[in-house]
Amino acid sequence: MPARITNAMVSRTVLYDLGSASRRLAQSERQLSSGKQLTRPSDNPFGVSRAIQLRGQLEATQQYRRNVNEGIGWTTATEAALTRITDVVQRARELLVEAGNDSNGAVARESVATEIDALTESLKQEANTTYEGRYVFAGTATETSPYALGGVDTFAGNAGSVPRVIGAGVAVAVNVSAREVLGEGQGAADNKLLDVMRDIAENLRGNTPADAEALRGTDLERLDTNLDNLTSVRAVVGATMNRLEGAGSRLDELEESGVDLLSKVEDADMAETLTSYTTEKTAYEAALKAGANIVQMSLLDFLH
Amino acid sequence: MGVSTFGGLQTALRGLLAQQRSLDVTSHNVANASTPGYSRQEAVLAASRPLHIAAGAVQNGGAAELGTGVDVLAYTRARDQFLDLQYRAQAMRLGGLSAQVEGLETVEGALAEPGENGISTQLQKFWSDWEDLANAPESQATRQALVESAEGLAASISSLDSQLVTAKEQAAAEYTSITQAGGEVEQMATEIAELNASIRSSLNSGATPNDLYDKRDLLLDKLSSLAQTSVTDLGNGTIEVDFGDAAVPLVAETTVTWPQALTEPQGKLGTLIELASPTGRIASYREELGAFAQELAESVNALHMSGGGPAFFSFTAGSAASTLAVNVSAAEVQTTATGAEGANDIALAIGALRGGKAESAYSSFVSRVGTDMNNARRAAENSEVLVNAVQERRESTSGVSLDEEMTNLVRFQRAYQASARAMTTFDEALDTLINRTGRVGL
Repeated sequence: MPARITNAMVSRTVLYDLGSASRRLAQSERQLSSGKQLTRPSDNPFGVSRAIQLRGQLEATQQYRRNVNEGIGWTTATEAALTRITDVVQRARELLVEAGNDSNGAVARESVATEIDALTESLKQEANTTYEGRYVFAGTATETSPYALGGVDTFAGNAGSVPRVIGAGVAVAVNVSAREVLGEGQGAADNKLLDVMRDIAENLRGNTPADAEALRGTDLERLDTNLDNLTSVRAVVGATMNRLEGAGSRLDELEESGVDLLSKVEDADMAETLTSYTTEKTAYEAALKAGANIVQMSLLDFLH
Repeated sequence: MGVSTFGGLQTALRGLLAQQRSLDVTSHNVANASTPGYSRQEAVLAASRPLHIAAGAVQNGGAAELGTGVDVLAYTRARDQFLDLQYRAQAMRLGGLSAQVEGLETVEGALAEPGENGISTQLQKFWSDWEDLANAPESQATRQALVESAEGLAASISSLDSQLVTAKEQAAAEYTSITQAGGEVEQMATEIAELNASIRSSLNSGATPNDLYDKRDLLLDKLSSLAQTSVTDLGNGTIEVDFGDAAVPLVAETTVTWPQALTEPQGKLGTLIELASPTGRIASYREELGAFAQELAESVNALHMSGGGPAFFSFTAGSAASTLAVNVSAAEVQTTATGAEGANDIALAIGALRGGKAESAYSSFVSRVGTDMNNARRAAENSEVLVNAVQERRESTSGVSLDEEMTNLVRFQRAYQASARAMTTFDEALDTLINRTGRVGL
């Protein structure tokens, strides 16, 4: 005997099938409206944990990019200050060459010495350059100006390095200590710029043959050595900046591919979702129509 | 022995009555076509006891039996006890799994993953804030932002924990409301006990209480989705119902023993006990969340205190998720162990915790909840299909088919009409015999 089919069975089957069709439709609708194929961990537990991981990597990349920008800002300020320091030293060298000429009298030398003093002050001022309120040449003592203006030449900063993280486990020191360039003056006799500039001013005012000799000889040589030192410091800063910029464009690429990857894992494929949405909607409508016809039909319609 | 002249009338009358009973039953079926738990009934007809006619009644001198019409033997209900057993076993599974899906949905919703508001996003923001602080260790504003995002993170973790606690408490409360005195279980048990009494007295008076059976079966179906329900027929129409792993039968004849303690009753109650248990699934989620919170707090604290500073997070070991809080003010945030305002060694080291153990602990937690939810949902869907299949077969046996009933209606109506016609025929024959016979020549 074939299975009896009762009216309640038909209605229940129709209802159950309509229910699953409408559940599938709702799922597609949710994907369409949110644009995401993953909206709950249970949608795809592996995919969700991967999405969380990718989102973390993306956030890290964006943070590294911010760190790089900060580092570039810092090195740009450093580089600009070093350029100005070089200009000052060049001017001092010109004055020195000029003043080394014996034909100048004591009065003329005195005025050169005054200008050298002024240049020394501006060297210190450049060394006190700030970036976003922080002294870039002071090591990690970023809220202390490295040099006090005036006669005292001691360096008030420290030798700490200021690193910026540009990748997982990769940090780049972006700062240069002013002590490397300007030194701590005559007291330290370190042959750095401040020491040399103070010596030059002294020799200009000395007016002895030994002073004149020093101006033409050792002072000039020491100034040249410092210019070389400046060039090499600037080369280091330039290299740091190149490295930061290289890292920046690499991070941009990483960010782009990270966004792309995250989107692949997390976002709904619109074309596919729309297609399945349309299919499911059609199926649902068809099921509704068929259901309405099936449920209505009964022998009652034909008996009179 | 001869045959009564009026015997045929009696036969026609039996026919009329039997067809009328059949029509009554059909009408009862149609009326209950959509009553839950109703089993279609049938009036079982059989030829009534024949009239024995002594020897010489037929041509060759033998005896014969003359039919006397029809009798209603019984009213039966179409029911397959085996399908009932299958249905109850599946309903129990489905009850358990649906309760699990509901419980886990609360947990999954509380996670808010993947998304902008989930803990994973806040955790990433927290690491980024440390790196921002490393870029500007002198800045008060950056410190303040860090402390605020850390407070947000800690609040999210403890709020997730308290939502887990709520989910656990909800399961416990639902269990209590179902099983307490006067609750669903006791109500159904009492009804079953009352039905037992009614069925027994019905049977004693010789009737077949089909509709009472249906009602009792429906109650048993409902009970079985709550817990493992087994039924023993006690023979006098009453049943004994064993419920879950309760020590004493829930119903024995007309006695109800409830409330009783259950430990592993299976079904919905079994899931609720498991969800609410201190060793259950939600408790293990809480443990995992707590381990993540503790790992996070300890790894950050270890670095933060490396320069002699205070702990960054405060928490109680063992319940880290619920007690996690930020322990420092913006001014107390440590960026360096060296003391220089521009140094950032501690901030850098904490920022470098990104992608570390704490994070993978959290992402495996999320993935575990997702997998559990996924499995529970799939199992519940499968079980629903099975319940539907059994229900379908049961419906096929017991359900009312209107087409069939309409056909029967026509059949019984015609038979009734025919019986009435037979009676008319007899009436006319008797009329001829009584009123017209022997009146020749009058």
